[in-house]
Amino acid sequence: MGSLHYSQPAGRITAAVAGDLAAFEQLYREFAPRIFGLCLRLTGQRESAEDCTQEAFIAAWRALARFEHRSEFSTWLQQIAIRTVLQGRRGLRAAREVAAPVAGLPEVADPGSGAPPLDVERAIAGLPDGARHVLVLVGIYGFSHAEAAAALGVSEGTCKSQLHRARGLLTAALELEPP
Amino acid sequence: MNDRPPRHDRPPSLDDLLAAIPRNVEPPARLWREIVFGIARRQRQTRYLALAASMACAVLAAAVIWAVLRAAPESRARLPLVATRTAPLATAPSFAEPGDAKYLATRASLQATFRERLALLDPTTRTRIEASLAVIQRAHEDIRRALAAAPADPLLQQLFESTWHEEFDLYVHVVHATQPTAAKT
Repeated sequence: MGSLHYSQPAGRITAAVAGDLAAFEQLYREFAPRIFGLCLRLTGQRESAEDCTQEAFIAAWRALARFEHRSEFSTWLQQIAIRTVLQGRRGLRAAREVAAPVAGLPEVADPGSGAPPLDVERAIAGLPDGARHVLVLVGIYGFSHAEAAAALGVSEGTCKSQLHRARGLLTAALELEPP
Repeated sequence: MNDRPPRHDRPPSLDDLLAAIPRNVEPPARLWREIVFGIARRQRQTRYLALAASMACAVLAAAVIWAVLRAAPESRARLPLVATRTAPLATAPSFAEPGDAKYLATRASLQATFRERLALLDPTTRTRIEASLAVIQRAHEDIRRALAAAPADPLLQQLFESTWHEEFDLYVHVVHATQPTAAKT
């Protein structure tokens, strides 16, 4: 689109706030894989993940002027994506979609681990919503309990017990040795 | 916590399995196009909302004029007899489009009568009517500018005609409400 290539996210953000869609596309190219991965694990369903990623970036475009640079842009985007997923789950049917065979989930990156890759993804997708959300944020994406609790709108205690529950369910589903 | 590489000298633990899950997943290529489409659609909706708000103000302004004139029937009684240049109008005539020559002529004539009648009203009523008319005209101008950028937009065309007729109706209303009646004298 003949736009400048901005080496720093800050430059792209400033340009995008001014309405430069090409600058926003550069941001999208950089951060979309992370956001799509997050949505995919949170929803456990590829189509929902696509919808949520789309909605999250549209919401980000609209809210860009309010981004205050106090946090990382990726953190800010992740928060928007999590909110979008939670709103979507509250609204519609999706609740049982995740229990169906999970189509289109990627295989794990390291087949050398000897793990049955897709089984892990399926087992995570089949977890109850609350347990899955906490496991994805804390167990996969490295959120602290405080960060996950704030993002999900639950207490830290709930967050910890949901993680414990998720790990127990996964251990049983994958027939792993208890720790 | 999650960056620990999987160990191969024992069965994988749950943490090993979680660590092996890729954080980044490439979204489908079409997603960016859909996002651009979504952004454009939201912007259009926002613009429509602003114009609709403008229209709502215009309608409200017309309603205010109607209420003002109803609440001040004495203004009609105090009016001297003025020759009306237009034929009596029961309702605003319906023309296919504002550009119609007959419509424009009627409108110009009606507008002249409206100005004459307005000058005869008491200052408070006149001020209110003028303020309401300004709201309608501002809405009309907003929509005209939006239409210049998107001339084929059917909703904008419809809104444009609505404000145009809204202004016309206002003239009709004021002229009617201030019609001098010989019976009152």
